[in-house]
Amino acid sequence: MAAVGGHGLQGYVVRRILLALPVLVGVSLLVFAVMRLAPGDPAAIMLGAQATREDVERLRRDLGLDRPVAVQYLQWMGRVLQGDLGRSIPLGREVLPEVLLRFKATAVLTAGALGIAVALGLTAGILSATRQYSWLDKLSMAVAVTGVSLPVFWTGIMLILVFALSLRWFPSAGMISPYGGGVTDLLWHLVLPAVTLGTASAAAVARLTRSSVLEIIRQDYVRAARAKGLAERAVIARHVLKNAFNPILTVIGVQVGYLLGGAILTETVFSWPGLGSMMVRAIQARDYPLVQGGVLLIATTFVVVNLIVDLLYAVFDPRIRYE
Amino acid sequence: MSRRRAWGIGLGLLAVALVSVATAAPPKDAMVIGLLAEPVTMDPPQITDLNSTRVIKRLFEGLTAQELGTYKIVPGLAQSWDISKDGLTYTFHLRPNVKFHDGTPLTAEAVKFCFDRQMNDQGPFYATGTYPYVKGFLGNVAGVEVVNPSTVQIRLKAPLTPFLQYLAHHSLYVYSPEALKKWGKDMVKHPVGTGPFKLETWEPGVRVVLSRNDQYWGGAPKIRQAIYVPIIEAQARLSAIKTGEIDMTMDVPPDSLADLRKDPDVVVAETNSSAVWYIALNTRHPALKDKRVRQALNYAVHKDAIIRDILKGTAIVATTPLSPVYGPYHEDKTLRYPYDPEKAKALLKEAGYAGGFDVTFFVPESGSGMQSPVEMATVIQANLAAVGVRARIQTMEWGAYLKKYLDGPDMAEMSWNPSIGDPDHMMYMLLSSDRFPPAFNAGFYQNPRVDELLRRGRTTIDEKERVPLYREAQRLVVEDAPWIFVDHGKQVIVHRKRVQGFKLHPNFDLVLTQVWLQ
Repeated sequence: MAAVGGHGLQGYVVRRILLALPVLVGVSLLVFAVMRLAPGDPAAIMLGAQATREDVERLRRDLGLDRPVAVQYLQWMGRVLQGDLGRSIPLGREVLPEVLLRFKATAVLTAGALGIAVALGLTAGILSATRQYSWLDKLSMAVAVTGVSLPVFWTGIMLILVFALSLRWFPSAGMISPYGGGVTDLLWHLVLPAVTLGTASAAAVARLTRSSVLEIIRQDYVRAARAKGLAERAVIARHVLKNAFNPILTVIGVQVGYLLGGAILTETVFSWPGLGSMMVRAIQARDYPLVQGGVLLIATTFVVVNLIVDLLYAVFDPRIRYE
Repeated sequence: MSRRRAWGIGLGLLAVALVSVATAAPPKDAMVIGLLAEPVTMDPPQITDLNSTRVIKRLFEGLTAQELGTYKIVPGLAQSWDISKDGLTYTFHLRPNVKFHDGTPLTAEAVKFCFDRQMNDQGPFYATGTYPYVKGFLGNVAGVEVVNPSTVQIRLKAPLTPFLQYLAHHSLYVYSPEALKKWGKDMVKHPVGTGPFKLETWEPGVRVVLSRNDQYWGGAPKIRQAIYVPIIEAQARLSAIKTGEIDMTMDVPPDSLADLRKDPDVVVAETNSSAVWYIALNTRHPALKDKRVRQALNYAVHKDAIIRDILKGTAIVATTPLSPVYGPYHEDKTLRYPYDPEKAKALLKEAGYAGGFDVTFFVPESGSGMQSPVEMATVIQANLAAVGVRARIQTMEWGAYLKKYLDGPDMAEMSWNPSIGDPDHMMYMLLSSDRFPPAFNAGFYQNPRVDELLRRGRTTIDEKERVPLYREAQRLVVEDAPWIFVDHGKQVIVHRKRVQGFKLHPNFDLVLTQVWLQ
């Protein structure tokens, strides 16, 4: 049977997707339960101070919140299976187009952050490993430890103070200029949030790249490659990196999940119009349908990314087979 | 090497492009306003938040309106009205030749349609929304009749003086019936009103663009576009207003105000508001049921220090629930509670609490109009400890807090930022015994004389008769001390120098009709 492609791969992908279903059902149960366990009630929050108890009860009935929780869950699940995620309670808008729209912005931010994490992380990791115990190695690992430890809201506000307020190189908030703008405008707005979100991941990638490269670099075949006169650059690129890459790929896959989650704080700091900033508001308003829809979408993305990472292993290591 | 050079050139070009974006000059006839969050919905009767009203008040109007800068009621879509002698029938004469943004005319039929949508739960369009204010503002309405295409009559169940103020509230704004029939529930993103601006685009989370309504009956606004962007983080709002990314914003960190006042490109506009920040005291708590104890707490709290050190001067001390913005209704001759810990201790001793007492003090982590709830609570807790009262702070997230507040807590922070400018909306709503929890008299305060005055105030139309009722009620309330009266927050708006003609309005609205850009 072929290593990648053909029946084996298809069967594997189908099995993985089937395995993902219970995960998603579990996630949906969990978010449904957690939202309803949280004190506070969407009807009361929406009606605010001037409402009477009858007003709140009437709105709860209109929203179907007076039914038993199990019934509410089954009704919601039934509609989700038909592709209907319901309507947001305070926004009055349909959930699915709303979360998909926000997801695009989050995807842009996550991609930018991932780009920065991979570029910085790989570079620092490789430089550190190839110059082990040099000042460069010590410096980049010290920076990496700091990077992992910095909370994104702090990094974000510091970047705003320095690069938006003092130097005025980048805007302090938003995804495009208020007057509108194109791709350059989007990139210009992306820099600070992507750096904020990507820093911690860059640090994680750098540390793993270093240890992974160090392990490979001591192997006999690397010495053989050097002995046959290959340039050091070619040795690292062709022989070391390719073999060191699978663990790095795993950590990058995990980082995508981390970035999707971390985007919530970054989006709030930079008013990035993504899922995260939307979810913060939805949670505050106890907007059950919107929170549930958003979480389901994030969970689905995470499952899909993990599947893609697992499939990529075989690209870097032909010994891996999917059966 | 050549590949490296290509990379270098590419990066250089990108940098140049980014810098050129950064240095583009803002258009001369479009203004950018940085809000704390984007609007939630644009369907007037469904709106409950300030960010939404700050936008939709440009798009819609009511039968009556508030004069810019005051709470005085002036004609809106109705150019005049008559009130029957018994105070039950209001007849409104609509302004002629007013058109909605979709070109359909404003008629008495349209007004009736909008009111009936909310009031009649069997009506064909009732299910197109949820109406948080229907009971409060239309609960006393018996019916709406079309007299002729330009005259509409509203009958009340009982006389109610604040009714003309209610009609200026956004939940009773008039919109195009044709638009509602067309969009149904999706009217939340397709607003069609009569206002000086109309919606051009709304990109969720990114921006709302309003453009000038050249057919506006009151004359087209001077600016061509008003663009609203959400900027959640206070530091980012500060940065954006200083760099000129936006032309106007609010709620910048109080620490930065001194610095902003020195900035030659920026104007800090401030005015007193009708908001009040207080701590409700539970009059059924064993210690707090004694008036002397409640007065003692008022003497113990150092309000001036809170305003100076935490709020950085963005508030004035509250001596009564009604701030000076209420004009003749504000009572200046109430009992005063200056910071006086000795007097507080003496009063506590007199009440039999020389050794103090324990009390749970509920505090929200944030919330609409709550200023700096946790920092303020910490100072208040220390002030109370100094006179022997042991307040145990319990903080909660706003959604959970609102629920807790209506469960009759011992002692809890609250702020009230009335959406309409009638004293009834503050005094009756918060202090009448008709409004015990689950309504908003959270401390179960009850004084029969105050109840009587507030009920009479609701039905007395003549201002000369009405003013003394509220003045007496304030004197009694302040002496009874059902709250710790803390402060009236100021409204602080920061805008760029190029924004001209801007005037603050007491209900926190940002009116743009008269604004121009330099």
